[in-house]
Amino acid sequence: MTMTVAAIPHRKPRSRKQDRRAASFARHLLLIAVSIIILLPIGYMILASFKSVADFFGNPYGLPTDWAFDNYTRAWTDAHVSITLPNTIIVTLCSVAGSTFLASLIAFGLSRKERPLAIGLYTLFVSGLLVPVQMIILPLFILLKQLGLFGTLFALILPYIALGLPLGVLVLTPIAAAIPRDLVSAAQVDGATEWQIYRRVVLPLLKPGLISVAILNGVWMWNEFFIPLIVAFRPQAQTMPVGIVSFIGVYSTEWGLVFASVVISTIPIVVAYLLMTRQFQSGLTAGALKG
Amino acid sequence: MVDQLASVNRAPLAQSGSDVPRRPLAARRRGKTARKYAHLWFVLPGLLFFCLFMIYPAISGFAISLTAWTGVGNDFHFIGLQNFVTALTSWPLYRAAWHNLIMFVAILIFQHTVGLFIAVQLNAKPRFMEVYRTILFLPVIISLVSTGFIWTLMLSPNIGVINPLLQSMGLGFLAHSWLSDPHLALPTVIAVQCWNVLGWAIIIYLAGLQSIPEELVQAAEMDGANGWQRFWRVVFPLLSPSFTSLTVLTFIGQFRVFDIVYVLTGPIGSPNFETDVLGTLIYRSAFGGSSMSSNDVRMSYAIAIALIVFVAMAVVSTILIRVLRRREIDA
Repeated sequence: MTMTVAAIPHRKPRSRKQDRRAASFARHLLLIAVSIIILLPIGYMILASFKSVADFFGNPYGLPTDWAFDNYTRAWTDAHVSITLPNTIIVTLCSVAGSTFLASLIAFGLSRKERPLAIGLYTLFVSGLLVPVQMIILPLFILLKQLGLFGTLFALILPYIALGLPLGVLVLTPIAAAIPRDLVSAAQVDGATEWQIYRRVVLPLLKPGLISVAILNGVWMWNEFFIPLIVAFRPQAQTMPVGIVSFIGVYSTEWGLVFASVVISTIPIVVAYLLMTRQFQSGLTAGALKG
Repeated sequence: MVDQLASVNRAPLAQSGSDVPRRPLAARRRGKTARKYAHLWFVLPGLLFFCLFMIYPAISGFAISLTAWTGVGNDFHFIGLQNFVTALTSWPLYRAAWHNLIMFVAILIFQHTVGLFIAVQLNAKPRFMEVYRTILFLPVIISLVSTGFIWTLMLSPNIGVINPLLQSMGLGFLAHSWLSDPHLALPTVIAVQCWNVLGWAIIIYLAGLQSIPEELVQAAEMDGANGWQRFWRVVFPLLSPSFTSLTVLTFIGQFRVFDIVYVLTGPIGSPNFETDVLGTLIYRSAFGGSSMSSNDVRMSYAIAIALIVFVAMAVVSTILIRVLRRREIDA
């Protein structure tokens, strides 16, 4: 805790220079140590994804003796990554687009509190956040079977759209409600229809919120494990997290393939994160705090 | 699908919105009512999805929980609250809930100490602060399944790196089969989760710290408060909204935990149920697990447990929020 203490008078330039140096050094040391703890396992997994089976046992830490690039080519075919990766991309993109769009419509519709049913419907949507997936997954399973969606990607996309709505409504409705009434009235005077008001006036102003919602829902949809575990048995309908787990059941010793698959499944989302670090951090935090 | 719904939507709106004044009175009144409810057209498509894939399953789930349905076949005979009574009087439920509670408390302490401490260090705005923050938040983006695999690899007695690392540092006596030792399995699962969730604490506390006006800290400094007092008397009370959010977030996260336990120690929470949590218990009750006799596998029973957990969590998190909010006002 002494470091904290030293950290606070940082902006007083005259106060003991040496102490400040030492504190700053210690701070960097700590932050570097923690960063290594975070990064080391990830780096180690990337290395492991290039190791042959013999290497795993003979040479557990250290570089692979011969880089087994075929882990990746074999993951692509044998571990069905060639199917599950496009599946994950399609499911995430469709669900994010559908859910964000529908949530923005709802947010617009409910943004004027005095309208009939607005508050009731808002509460209804938001209370969806409390419903645990475990409770609805089994009836959902039956429903999807009855609808004949089993074995198709719709078995994931349609529930994801619905499950993404509560958060979308929660984040977007206050933003829509905060749009100045004058703007809307002005558009009405000009003869704009409700649709035009939504499309031309409200939607552009919702944009930062839409990005938050898309990131928020996109991250969990990409990573979701439980729902596809229950409703998608075959690679044709699976997303990557479940694809990897069910692959393990088949070949339990092919660790190289498993880690190659894990790396492939992680790259897209990490790249997106590095490109939009700020939006990810603020978007996810905003969603988590409101949830 | 979505586009179709939207275009269905557009037609009635165009009628209700424009040229209302030119119509006769009756039509105008109809137009007025239509206009009054016009906003509902925007809600409708989302509401349909929501009802079909959320409300309907929730209600029918409740209905199923009152029957003896196993998940296959057509034996839907009504047994009232028997599933709930069985669940509440069976000790695996309490064992699992106990593990959830341990995880919650351990991770809560970790977040509010280590997480807060690192956030304070970052708030001093050292060089490369952005880089550190980007790295430290990274595990939050990575799925729990991937986290599980990363750590299965790190911790494995055969192919792992933790044990050889300890041996090479002369700490060989600390090497263990982390995930299969009954005493260590649960703490190991907790440690792995700490790795995954640390980023939340840092980001949430950092946001809180950055919102504190510097004048307040400076004023305390002028009044002669030392660094320790400034932190605990001035800064920390102002962080109580962050404290509340992080506590509630951790509570919900830890009582819903499933993926990471499933990947690290399997659906039966091995060894010997030492890491069994509510999530895996519900999963196992619905779909079976290697150690379950088929009598125990009942879909309706699983839904009953899920409902109990849902209600308990809703109650506890409401109380938690209320208590913590009151604390915020006092502070």
